[in-house]
Amino acid sequence: MEDFDNFVANFTSAVDFQEEREIRADTKLADLPEWDSLAALGVIIMFDTEYGVTITGGDLKACPTISSIFELIQARRK
Amino acid sequence: MALTSILNVRYRGLASCVPKNVVSNFDCPPEQRSERERLVRNIGIETRRICHSWQCFSDLAVVAAEKLLVELGWERDDVDALIVVTQSPDYLMPGSAILIQDRLKLRTSIPAFDINLGCSGYPYGLYVLGSMLTSGAIRRGLVLVGDKSAWLPDSLLPLFSDCGTATALEYDTNAPPMHFDLNSDGSGYRAIMMPVGGARERTDFYHFNPQNAEGSEKRRPVDLILDGAAVLNFSIARVPVAVKQICETAATPLADIDYLVLHQANRMINETIRKKLGLAAEKVPSTLHEFGNTSSASIPLTMTARIREDLTLNGRKSLLCGFGIGLSWASCILETDRICMPALLEA
Repeated sequence: MEDFDNFVANFTSAVDFQEEREIRADTKLADLPEWDSLAALGVIIMFDTEYGVTITGGDLKACPTISSIFELIQARRK
Repeated sequence: MALTSILNVRYRGLASCVPKNVVSNFDCPPEQRSERERLVRNIGIETRRICHSWQCFSDLAVVAAEKLLVELGWERDDVDALIVVTQSPDYLMPGSAILIQDRLKLRTSIPAFDINLGCSGYPYGLYVLGSMLTSGAIRRGLVLVGDKSAWLPDSLLPLFSDCGTATALEYDTNAPPMHFDLNSDGSGYRAIMMPVGGARERTDFYHFNPQNAEGSEKRRPVDLILDGAAVLNFSIARVPVAVKQICETAATPLADIDYLVLHQANRMINETIRKKLGLAAEKVPSTLHEFGNTSSASIPLTMTARIREDLTLNGRKSLLCGFGIGLSWASCILETDRICMPALLEA
């Protein structure tokens, strides 16, 4: 099981927030001003390099919350 | 494709020309400054060289070719073939190479034709011209490579930049072999494309109206489509494997390569590739910060702008790898010895 706090640290770094944001499991991605195409590229790279998992832009679009992105790691690693 | 090697062809010279016009990605309304800083930090592109409205890729390439011919001491009549690699020809037809044959006052008894490739185009241009020279039936050729970034929606403007380059190859039985690995995957063609303006869908007035395509953001159908996530996944999956493969089949360890010159896509893609290959930044020169993504010209421009002095003074082994639109990717291991390289030109 991946460490959620570690994931949030990776996610925060990958998105490169302009301002400090509180990231919780139920944080809605649509509520994050920096959740854009650039952030998606950062997260795709983070999945590849940190977790060895390939995801698409479509996979991320289907995720409503932070926890749903986190769950992708478990689902795709199987 | 399996590795192929071209014998008896020497890489003699390279010249690159960019527009004088410098555009900064920080040239934006003050309220967008913070957002732009984040963009520049991640894509790694701060300034770009952009053609004036009257200027084409071919204008830059002609300046590069004229200078290269002078520096090499080649007469116009010495040039036996002219190839142009571009996706921004002066006209949809005829091809730019034929127009440039006349502008450069080359003989009419030479083949001159275009190759329609973008990011992967430089190794392809070397391969096609090299293949024509290898038998010695013709002895000297030029390949002009580059693009003018046109048809871009506002969101893509910060990425692209303009450049024209000229490379000279010559038949020489003492030349070291050039190794190539060329690949194509047309199933990914939608990742980067101009959907309108070709024979499949001719340009019509309504293509200039922003529309919603497949429920996504509004865009004008005449503009370039770029699916950043798809290009990223393609690049970081294919390129490291391709680089390792050409090294293995050419029996040249990556450690023996002096420079890995990658297509300059964006910092996120290029840094991921570099880290996957475990290479130090000094071995992987970059021009992204200053010149952005110049399509097929990005490899030769990076050679001119970053490693010119070393390549003109010393013998070096470079691995060039272009990847992108098509989807297409191509690598080349090039052994050069004191090549003729004028300093970066501006027009």
